[in-house]
Amino acid sequence: MRHALALPALLVAAIACAERGSSNAPSGGTLIVTIGADADHLLPPLITGLVGRQVADLMYYRLAELTPPIRTAGDEGFEPRLASRWRWAADSLSIAFDLDPRAQWHDGTPVRAKDVVFTYSLYTDPVVGAPGSVNFANVDSITAPDSMTVAVWFQRRKAEQFFEVVHNLVPVPAHVFGPVQRDQLRASGAVREPIGNGPYRLVRWERASRIELAADTAHWRGRPRLDRVIWTPAPDPVTTVTRLFAGEADFYESLRPENLAQAESDSALRVVPYPSLQYGFLQFNLRDPGDSSRPHRLLADRELRRAISMAVDRDRLVRSIYDTLAFVAIGPVSRAVAMDTTMTHLPHDPERARRTLDSLGWRVSGGDGIRQRDGVPLAFGVIVPTSSRPRINAAVILQEQLRQVGVRLDIEQMEFTTFLERQRARRFESYLGVWVTTPTPSGVRQPWSTAGQSNFGAYASPVFDALVDSAVYARSPVAARTYWRRAYQTIIDDAPAIWLYEPRMVAAHHRRLRITEFRADAWWAGIPEWSIPPDERIARDRIPLAVRHE
Amino acid sequence: MVGLVLRRVGQAALIVFLVTTLTFVLLRVAPGDPFTATVEHPLIAEETREQWRAAAGLDRPIAEQYIRYLANVARGDFGPSFSKGRPVSEELASAVPNTLLLMLAALVASFVLGVALGVFQAVRRGSIADRAIGGVALFFYSMPDFWLALMVLLLFAYRLGLFPVGGMLNPWSYEYYDIWGRIANRLHHLALPAGTLTLLSAAAIARYQRSAVLDVARQDYVRTARAKGVSERRVVTRHILRNALLPVITLLGLAFPALLGGAVFVEKVFAWPGMGRLAVEAIGTRDYHLVTATVIIAGVMVSIGSLLADLLYAAVDPRLRET
Repeated sequence: MRHALALPALLVAAIACAERGSSNAPSGGTLIVTIGADADHLLPPLITGLVGRQVADLMYYRLAELTPPIRTAGDEGFEPRLASRWRWAADSLSIAFDLDPRAQWHDGTPVRAKDVVFTYSLYTDPVVGAPGSVNFANVDSITAPDSMTVAVWFQRRKAEQFFEVVHNLVPVPAHVFGPVQRDQLRASGAVREPIGNGPYRLVRWERASRIELAADTAHWRGRPRLDRVIWTPAPDPVTTVTRLFAGEADFYESLRPENLAQAESDSALRVVPYPSLQYGFLQFNLRDPGDSSRPHRLLADRELRRAISMAVDRDRLVRSIYDTLAFVAIGPVSRAVAMDTTMTHLPHDPERARRTLDSLGWRVSGGDGIRQRDGVPLAFGVIVPTSSRPRINAAVILQEQLRQVGVRLDIEQMEFTTFLERQRARRFESYLGVWVTTPTPSGVRQPWSTAGQSNFGAYASPVFDALVDSAVYARSPVAARTYWRRAYQTIIDDAPAIWLYEPRMVAAHHRRLRITEFRADAWWAGIPEWSIPPDERIARDRIPLAVRHE
Repeated sequence: MVGLVLRRVGQAALIVFLVTTLTFVLLRVAPGDPFTATVEHPLIAEETREQWRAAAGLDRPIAEQYIRYLANVARGDFGPSFSKGRPVSEELASAVPNTLLLMLAALVASFVLGVALGVFQAVRRGSIADRAIGGVALFFYSMPDFWLALMVLLLFAYRLGLFPVGGMLNPWSYEYYDIWGRIANRLHHLALPAGTLTLLSAAAIARYQRSAVLDVARQDYVRTARAKGVSERRVVTRHILRNALLPVITLLGLAFPALLGGAVFVEKVFAWPGMGRLAVEAIGTRDYHLVTATVIIAGVMVSIGSLLADLLYAAVDPRLRET
């Protein structure tokens, strides 16, 4: 219960500490980020991992940038970066971006429209196989009417058409990557020492050891406050967090519950809770795992799924696993991007669950307390990755809660890649999953719509699909909100899954750092505005940018 | 001697080939592939994954993949690392020297420490010191690698603050040191991981050495030396130790794979950017090329260690040279 008292106070403190960086803040200082993994790539079109994105987001500017809180409909949630302004066509089917004439790459070459056009061709070229290519499905083309103007042409009007292009297309220099053959791009040396246009430039990337960025002191939008940012990967979670506690690192993005008390009591550290885009859930497979053309013998039954859902005490489950470091999930979306949070959930009502199961013909007849119908026990399996302690704990709690209404849950733990493969091949009856969404409400499509690539449970509701489509293409925010609410409510009522928890992230940083408000999808977005007061600097903050024994 | 070397090299080549083949096949029949890890990625479509699989040749029959792989390896091309985004050879080029540095430091330290302790125990057989050292050695010998590494890290790096928490160098100041400062910084970072591996393997060496010294001490030529009035120090160093080192040399061949196995966990805990850590990450992500290449390199390293032990044994035991 310690955390229950501590976190509200922490939230207030965090908000108080999160001051917007000002251009008057003194420059200088070093930020060392301790992380669990190295980057996979630093060239935006090739990046799949989070660390690569963190680094690249400081090296590269987009045309415009999201500002907290996240608003992905229209362009109000964005502020200019490479583009100094933009103009919508009267029919909203194209947007013309005027590039900032001061923008230049770190090698001094000006940023021009041809760079944006080239980058779009990289993202959409199947030979490159860019992870984010799906984001450009609604883009008809991107052209350069002149060297300083980029025109984006859309196929259909959507509330998030601006977001889809601007957030997901990170321009890279055509003069550097243009000459590289597309099928050789991943192996080329240029991708390992990429040239950006953002506030920080790459100094070195030593694999599995460190990634160092230094401030571009002559940056056209003004130099960032901190002189350098260094990521130091350590694969063991104990080592990762010990670096912070030992004072060798300044920032850790995700404290575990077991480390929170120590971080709170450490006078050198501040803890900062922030929203996340994650939610955890138990998803049912509505199709037969052995033959996906047939419905599942049990879980295709909507009433049965609803009864199972009512047997689960989600509040107790969340408290048992996370204490106050998670909310009960609101549905197939995180609070940070949900367009509505007022949906009605199936109540925790074991008695009603029992009555429903009785009415469906599932009766307790044997001594083990498990219900049967026609000699078939009411039992199904759940697969869980061994790498996730919260999910293993959740499986055990669910098993006990379901047992109390006469349902047997068989837990099968497995190595993470095997788990993912079973999930992909739909060889499961249910699985405990965690979904990290894109920072947009329409991210709900991929895991839950009928055609969704990650809809492993095969939930198929034309009503839900139609409501989501209506919301995505709605012309007014009010109409969109109404459609989103109905869509969320539809899927919650159908219970293709039990949405369990939404973790609250807690970062910890050295007290001398002055940070800005975290964006739910990118805590690092404000790093250029972070600063360290001169009188609080330590040895590593006083290292000059230039002199080195190279 | 030449015949011995050729025989051993032939055996090593065969073993590496068999291990490579086994690894290649087992990886491909295991669930998942290098791109499965992106299944939960919200921006990666299944078509993109299929494109990646086709581009990597993973949509071909296993036999065809294997023949292509062997042909590439024969040309020195281990293929691309799917998870690291660069050629496997580059990954190995940066990781293998780090592992060799760690292992050689641990190997030398563990043999020096193990032999010294073993001789000391044997000379003082039955004493309190002998029993105490034996107990401590047994304690470290029984410790799981990762647990000991974590305890060493928490005690010496976090609680006492004597050593850095991990890594190979100070990430923010290394470039500002002169050459001696850089060497000192590297040694400072090497101390804990190498020390942990030393504790783990020195314990076994000490036990072997103690037993070997006691065996040799019972030999007639030792008794004769003492009867001739040779000083005890000379008896121990010249007559006992030199002969008692023979069975310990055999341990060298066994210590190499044991150290390599230990390095897997120690490198992970101490964030040491070596081959063991690389192998663990590669297995987790089903990075076929990287796993197979680390197995090949590990096989070669173990074979070389074993060959060195054989040669050393032959060099000190003339009977073997003649066979």
